[in-house]
Amino acid sequence: MEAVTKYSETELVLLLKQRQQSAFSYLYDNYSGALHAVILNIILDTELASDVLQDVFVKIWRQINSYDDTKGRLYTWMLNIARNASIDTIRSKNFQNNKQNRELTENVYESAGSTQLMTDKIGLRKLVHQLKEEHKVLIELSYFQGFTQDEISKMLNLPLGTVKTRLRTALIQLR
Amino acid sequence: MDIKAYIESGVIESYVLGMADAQEAAELLQLSAQYPEIKQAVSAFEASLEKSALANAIAPPAFVKEKIFSALQEEFAAKKTTATVIDMPSASTNWLRYIAVASVILLIGSSVLNVYYFNKFNEVNNKYASLLNDKNSLEASINIYKTKTLDIYNSMQLMSDPMMIKVSMPGVKGKEENLATVFWDKKTKDVYLLANKLPQTTEDKQYQLWAIVDGKPVDAGLLNDCNGLCRLKNIPNAQMFAITLEKKGGSASPTMEQMFVAGAVSTS
Repeated sequence: MEAVTKYSETELVLLLKQRQQSAFSYLYDNYSGALHAVILNIILDTELASDVLQDVFVKIWRQINSYDDTKGRLYTWMLNIARNASIDTIRSKNFQNNKQNRELTENVYESAGSTQLMTDKIGLRKLVHQLKEEHKVLIELSYFQGFTQDEISKMLNLPLGTVKTRLRTALIQLR
Repeated sequence: MDIKAYIESGVIESYVLGMADAQEAAELLQLSAQYPEIKQAVSAFEASLEKSALANAIAPPAFVKEKIFSALQEEFAAKKTTATVIDMPSASTNWLRYIAVASVILLIGSSVLNVYYFNKFNEVNNKYASLLNDKNSLEASINIYKTKTLDIYNSMQLMSDPMMIKVSMPGVKGKEENLATVFWDKKTKDVYLLANKLPQTTEDKQYQLWAIVDGKPVDAGLLNDCNGLCRLKNIPNAQMFAITLEKKGGSASPTMEQMFVAGAVSTS
């Protein structure tokens, strides 16, 4: 989108902190698609993804004062909000469907396999599917399901060091 | 330390994507502050991540933006938009309607109360007026009694005066139950009458006191309504006093058959 006004990231953040609607509108117009894609990578239901996108922008707006530009780019901060919100949604949904963590864990593999075709076209997932199985599982659990490395280590019965190394190797391949 | 190997390890990607654990993140932050190459590598990955995300963007449905902006409408910094200006009157019109309805209800309620309180007021006002009347008549009768008391007190003073001659006039033959008393001041010669017991007169009749001077009756005055002693005429000389019932206003000479009481002046 070629907006008449184009803000630098610093200007944009400043205007957002000043509660300017025009800046927020600009932010939405420029980043909603990217964040929508991030959410759709994790949540396959488009209606649910729209709801999450809405929550994500409300969170961005309300928490903009906690954004610290010395720690990274605005997009990175927003990406993590979107990813965490998506994972929280999936977890609360899965928790409603399956009361036991065991089932949740089993679901991980199921959803990773069964959604293959549908998600092949979407961003990061497309890349993830080109990875070796042992790497794919780690990205799936870590990025798409939001499990910590420690949790993954226990889940897959792998040493924490191995999880770290494999995850990093997987990520390198995604560059 | 091998910076290149660290950069190549994938830890930067893991950190930026929020997958690194606390220990890895702390280590990376410390190292990027220390080594500009690491900091630059982090920035580069962030920039490429953003670029690729923007390239792979999937536009959300249009209603999402509307929903977000209407949800946050209150939180935006105030600015002069027509939308806000148009929005306000419709809200205030609603308020005006509520206020108008409330006003009418209050007016009706108030009118009902007005009638009620007006009736109440009239009732109380009437009661007040009658009380005021009662009070005035009580005050009047108190004044009457005060006057009577004062007259009687004065009468007592006169009666007990040492200069006063008391002439007792018992009832004449056939009218023995009657009694009147004349008090005659030796000094001033004023005559006072105390009607101890005389029958009630009719409207057209009046008692008249006669002084008998050398065998002849002399008018000594008419008996009016008075308290205690009634002051009558000044009689310089008399041997007897008598009372007859005469026509109103008195007579020139007494009607002898209508004599009620009579008494002689004690010479002592």
